[in-house]
Amino acid sequence: MVTTSDTAGDRNALIQHLQEALGALESGDEAGWRREIDALAALRTQPMMAGLGRLARELGQALGDLPTVPSDAGELDDACARLDHVVEMTEKATHRTLDLAEQCRELVTGLREDRLPPVEHEQALEQIRRNLTEIALTQSYQDLTGQIIRRVVSIVRRVHEGFGALGLPQPEEEAPGNTLAGPAVGGLDRHAVSQHDADDLLSDLGL
Amino acid sequence: MPASRNHEEESPLNKNMRILIVDDFSTMRRIVKNLLGDLGFTNTAEAEDGHAALSLLQSQPFDFIVTDWNMPVMTGIELLRAVRADPKLKTLPVLMVTAEAKREQIIEAAQAGVNGYIIKPFTAQTLEEKLGKIFERLAAST
Repeated sequence: MVTTSDTAGDRNALIQHLQEALGALESGDEAGWRREIDALAALRTQPMMAGLGRLARELGQALGDLPTVPSDAGELDDACARLDHVVEMTEKATHRTLDLAEQCRELVTGLREDRLPPVEHEQALEQIRRNLTEIALTQSYQDLTGQIIRRVVSIVRRVHEGFGALGLPQPEEEAPGNTLAGPAVGGLDRHAVSQHDADDLLSDLGL
Repeated sequence: MPASRNHEEESPLNKNMRILIVDDFSTMRRIVKNLLGDLGFTNTAEAEDGHAALSLLQSQPFDFIVTDWNMPVMTGIELLRAVRADPKLKTLPVLMVTAEAKREQIIEAAQAGVNGYIIKPFTAQTLEEKLGKIFERLAAST
């Protein structure tokens, strides 16, 4: 809300600058009227500059919450690399699922022809069962990519909120995000440990 | 019987134990449930966050919890602390299955009293190993 005293203050400042600019122009003081006109322009742009500054700070903080890239690449590159990783993971999982499904289909064809010796028949059935288990396990990418996408969505939301502060309609208040690192991305998260390292660490802690 | 089912008979684990699977992603709950089923554990229930898990834990008996860490409403670490603080639930073994892979987080979970820690993405073999290890240790300590 803009208070009436602020509006009155703005109005008084405007009148003062206009009067002094007019006075300087009439008396031939070129530097004077230019200075007053610049001051008028600053009055109009200062809230916008302050808003942009705040937006840049908030964006920096939002991106700073994510682990930074090892190179001196920018913060936005980090968010983009995470989304690229999502594409990569989903692509890999889909290919793996398709490979396993195709192999199952071949095995079923072999079983249908019913010319396999009993041992091979049994092996084919076991291979199909294993493939089905692995297909189910391959779907676990959805949980990991979902988490990465949600993090990037929260960055986008903060930028949107920043624009709201510049006079666009304000979105609803958002609870502050958690501080967990989320899924580790190869080449980005240098502090992530492997299952093997985790096992060693837990064994050191008596687990 | 398929070769991979043979270990069921050798395993000292109680296959009828009731397991609560806690994860906000239904896909991950399904995957964990299927993997446990493959290992012979079919008596499972699911909850989508720590809060839902706690209300299930308070209304029916469970023998084991498999939980994610990062969940809305109530996280896995908060669930773990709530379980350890509850006189009726405090001895319940808890396996954390999470994407959180920082040393500090693993230490935090250990200090909160976790029984096992698996980093996503994981394999069926890792799950089997950790389950075996947890119940081996529990059997040794009683």
